[in-house]
Amino acid sequence: MTTTHPQALNVFARKLAWILMLRRAVRWMSVWFFVWGALVLAARIASAPFAEWLALGVLGCVPLAIFAAIWERRRLPGFSQIRASYDQLAECGGLMMSEEAAEMSAWHAQLPTAAVPGMRWQGGRALLVLAVSALFVAVTLLLPERFTQLAHRPLEIGQIVDQLQAEVKTLAQEKIVDDKKAEELQKQLSQLQKDSTGFDPNKTWEALDHIKQANSDLAKQAAEEALKKTESLTQAETLAKAMQQAADAGMDKATASVAAQDLASLLNAAKLEEGILNGKIPPELLANLDGLNKEQMEKLVKALELNKGSLSKTMADLAKLKLIDPAALEKMKGACKDGNYAALSDYLSHCQGGKCDSELLFSWLRKSCKGGPGGGGPEAEMTWDNDTSEKDQKFQEHTLPPASKLDDAQLVNVSKAAPELSANNLVVGHGALDNAVAGGGSAHSQTILPEHRQAVQKFFKREEK
Amino acid sequence: MSETILKPEELQPAAELARKTLEQLDAILLGRTELHRLVLIGIMARGHILFEGLPGLGKTALVRTIGQILKLDFKRIQFTPDLMPGDVLGTHILQETSAGKRELAFQPGPVFTNILLADEINRASPKTQSAMLETMQENCVTLLGTTRALPQPFFVLASQNPIELEGTYPLPEAQLDRFLFRLLFESVDADVLDQIISGRRRGELPAATWQMERGELEILFQTMGKIYLPRPVSRYIARLVSATHPGSPEATAPVNRYITYGASPRAAIAIAEAARGHALLNGRPSVGFEDVKAVAQPVLNHRLILNYQARFDRMTAAKLVAEMLGQLDETGLNLPKDVELAKA
Repeated sequence: MTTTHPQALNVFARKLAWILMLRRAVRWMSVWFFVWGALVLAARIASAPFAEWLALGVLGCVPLAIFAAIWERRRLPGFSQIRASYDQLAECGGLMMSEEAAEMSAWHAQLPTAAVPGMRWQGGRALLVLAVSALFVAVTLLLPERFTQLAHRPLEIGQIVDQLQAEVKTLAQEKIVDDKKAEELQKQLSQLQKDSTGFDPNKTWEALDHIKQANSDLAKQAAEEALKKTESLTQAETLAKAMQQAADAGMDKATASVAAQDLASLLNAAKLEEGILNGKIPPELLANLDGLNKEQMEKLVKALELNKGSLSKTMADLAKLKLIDPAALEKMKGACKDGNYAALSDYLSHCQGGKCDSELLFSWLRKSCKGGPGGGGPEAEMTWDNDTSEKDQKFQEHTLPPASKLDDAQLVNVSKAAPELSANNLVVGHGALDNAVAGGGSAHSQTILPEHRQAVQKFFKREEK
Repeated sequence: MSETILKPEELQPAAELARKTLEQLDAILLGRTELHRLVLIGIMARGHILFEGLPGLGKTALVRTIGQILKLDFKRIQFTPDLMPGDVLGTHILQETSAGKRELAFQPGPVFTNILLADEINRASPKTQSAMLETMQENCVTLLGTTRALPQPFFVLASQNPIELEGTYPLPEAQLDRFLFRLLFESVDADVLDQIISGRRRGELPAATWQMERGELEILFQTMGKIYLPRPVSRYIARLVSATHPGSPEATAPVNRYITYGASPRAAIAIAEAARGHALLNGRPSVGFEDVKAVAQPVLNHRLILNYQARFDRMTAAKLVAEMLGQLDETGLNLPKDVELAKA
């Protein structure tokens, strides 16, 4: 069946309309896909509750295609123009255009064979954009949640919080912080862990650093306190043991009383009722130090030993949590050793009528604890036999040779002028008359005498001003 | 469908007359087929034609042959610098009547003819050239208050030497605009020259074997008047002429750059008429876009007034018209650039 020109014209018009509508739809859908993808991404990042429903955006393509078709249909060239275009492409020489105005069937035999003109849409670029936009939508829809929730994901601070909570717990157990404060800190740490987000991690890290620093400061204070108390307890323990042994050796009552007072003073200095050893020594013993019998004294010694051990354990715990420097712990362990209570006992037993020298007693006791915080440097013997090494010193001492003797000096002349030294030898100067010419009065070369120089300089300085 | 389109049998006689005329022209004057088609189109469109070319190329011979084939009265004026308007249009001469009374009697000039060959028209002074304006547009002559109609049909077939030659005066734009076509005469190739030399003693033209009768010429003119100009084609002509004006919406960049004044409405009419003639010659009752394209160049190439920039850049009106014809979308579909149409 041969195609007639009117049929070919209709096919041409339809084909052109389809291509134009398709082209418009592709363009609009590309835009829609980008918008849709952006919306999906925004909704997923914002964790919007309706994010799942955004997948239904694909349904938007249907009305979009319809609108594109309507839009393009309205903008389509008129049929007259399409007919003119067909006339030209089919080389009809105006005969098809004339059909609009008159019956041209008589001329159809002279028209070339009817065929639909070719039509091509170079839509490669538009289709590429469509594919990219569709891919963008697919990626935004299928993107794993961990990529979209980056900002809201909690920080990985569980280990740090656990460590800080353990520190707070230890500090509370050792009475370094009170229970209420410890509970508050624990709550703060839990809240921090809960509220921390990747959106603003600085605040979280700052808070954690602050708590860690506070814990560390408290632990250091406690370590200093523990060291002081250990010193006092060691001294008290040494004295108590000496008193115990001296009592067996026949120490008189007056000396015992003075020693008991010294013991009380040591225990008071230790401030055992405050801080980390609160109430660890039986109060009846502390109240009656002057009249302690042998058993009570043993009990006191044991209590003191127990407290020392407790302090040591506390320090070990803090060091274990790295709240204090392990070196400090070692220092404390090595600093306070049991003193030579036998010699002290001997001294006490020979000290009759309470005439013991308390200063001597304390000095003796201090020798048992050397160094440590606030305790000064270790005691050392003074030696005078070895010179100080000058190996690393910048300047070394040298003895200069004696000055040349003035006796060898020789008087050459005496002049009012400034002494001048020629290259060869000394020339005798004649002062102001050096360059004077008899009767000439040459002024330009006149020498200025030393006593006038200051006045002349002042004059020229004034001139310069 | 209110228009009347010629039926094939109605168009056929006129197309046959045109074909015969062309046949005669091609037989008498060798090697200028395309030029002969345009000349015939110009005559069918009742337009004046300006031939431009160097002397000796056969301009006068062509005009003389046309007059012979069409059996029309033919006169020739050799335009010279001292030619006066009266020499062209005619003059009043004092004569004594039989009654002994003296009166001024009109002695018609050579313009009173059907085909006037104005040879080397650009050698006459502007004053004489302007004497032709009324005759060309109104087909009449007015002297001493009396208007006398010229015989019909009336054609001016003028020839001019290229204006670069010495002793020539450029034609005024008003007169140029009255010529339907400006056709360039170029040298024929060696084969044609060989034919002329070997076949024609002293270059004498052979006599026409067929001549068109006056009634046949009328049939030709009547048929021309019935050639249908479809609306899209007339729209194209209008857009094409409009595009020659710098600053118009469809003017191309070269048009804006090189043209001072575009073509007049007379050019649009001329294109339409000439396109009708072209369609008739091709045996079609309606004008197509290709008819317009075929005649646009000779119609427009003398109607565009170029600026000095064009002279500096050696830009010609012919190049500009060709550029416009290539750029302008004939149908006005205005399809997107990525949609292409191709011939079936």
